Amino acid sequence: MIEEVKTWLQEGRVDIFLGYRMMAGHPLPHVFVKDKLQEVDELISADARYPLEKFAARIAAAQPDIKIGMLARDCNKRALNVLSVWNQLEPGTVETVDVNCCPSNLKDGADCSYLKAPKTGFHKKQVGIDNQYDIEDFENYDQQGRFTRWMNEFQRCIKCYGCRNICPVCFCQECSLEHPDLIKTGDLPPEVPIFHLVRAVHMAGRCTDCGLCEEACPVDIPLRLLYRKVNQVVSDIFDYRPGSNTDQSPFSVLGETLPEPEPLKAAGSGGRE
Amino acid sequence: MTVKRMRVLQQLLKFVGLDGRLHLEWISSAEAQKYVRVVTEFTEKIKALGPNPLKGYTEKIEALGPRALAGSAHTDIVLQKQRPTAAKRKIKIA
Repeated sequence: MIEEVKTWLQEGRVDIFLGYRMMAGHPLPHVFVKDKLQEVDELISADARYPLEKFAARIAAAQPDIKIGMLARDCNKRALNVLSVWNQLEPGTVETVDVNCCPSNLKDGADCSYLKAPKTGFHKKQVGIDNQYDIEDFENYDQQGRFTRWMNEFQRCIKCYGCRNICPVCFCQECSLEHPDLIKTGDLPPEVPIFHLVRAVHMAGRCTDCGLCEEACPVDIPLRLLYRKVNQVVSDIFDYRPGSNTDQSPFSVLGETLPEPEPLKAAGSGGRE
Repeated sequence: MTVKRMRVLQQLLKFVGLDGRLHLEWISSAEAQKYVRVVTEFTEKIKALGPNPLKGYTEKIEALGPRALAGSAHTDIVLQKQRPTAAKRKIKIA
């Protein structure tokens, strides 16, 4: 991996390379350049994950001619696809060195498991949501249970915007979550559940299920479960898996595959499935 | 576009326990009868569902501020079961 990156930089295949480097005891994202080639010896692909493709998109926006290389797990590659679908990154701007990947529902046969969430405590299991739940596990609760449990989770939110800031596919210049007309600003906790649901809706057709949001969340809200549900719905209705290819998202153009609106009667209190 | 988003949102709301409170229907200005029927049916449905469960929550959270998470009665019960109070512990030691 190190040799490959060195060759790329020397040959000018890429101008900069985004990877991780141990600094002050932490694996941190680092930009490797040709002028400081000896630094590449310290390139690592550690447990730590950062949205490198988000940095790449910002760099490419500022300097369109630059050739970027980066370490890429599967989640990074899916996010790269999503970014190019949404015109944030020219396809082909970024060259990737593939590294071992993390588990994800969007990918079959992923083998790496170091990102398994820590065990959920007793109290959280009683009144909240176990972060390790699958969608099916959670849907076993009745309507009341689902509602209370989510509200218990959402109430802890300290509105740090960490989930949005870390998200590789959040790129809007103006974010609805900070728009005073849409979501009340300045108060804690934020307007629940609107704050989280707005983000969830915006994840439709975009979320690559990388799980960075949940890792970043200081209060352990099971965001990945919520966005996984969004992904499941999008996959059921539109047969679209964000990041799996560079096809247009069903939400980006007026597509031909219009679903039928839910009929009033069938959507009774038990819901429709 | 709207119908796509609404379909996703309806499923999402169901997932967080707010089932059936969102409905989308196309009604032309020439379809007065359809309008009446849809509005009546939806009103009946909403009435049957009862008041919005969010209402109480929002007020509670606003009243308690950031500490709202500790305010649920359920939370207190679970905590008591888990940890004996300081007074009880003292008795055991004595």
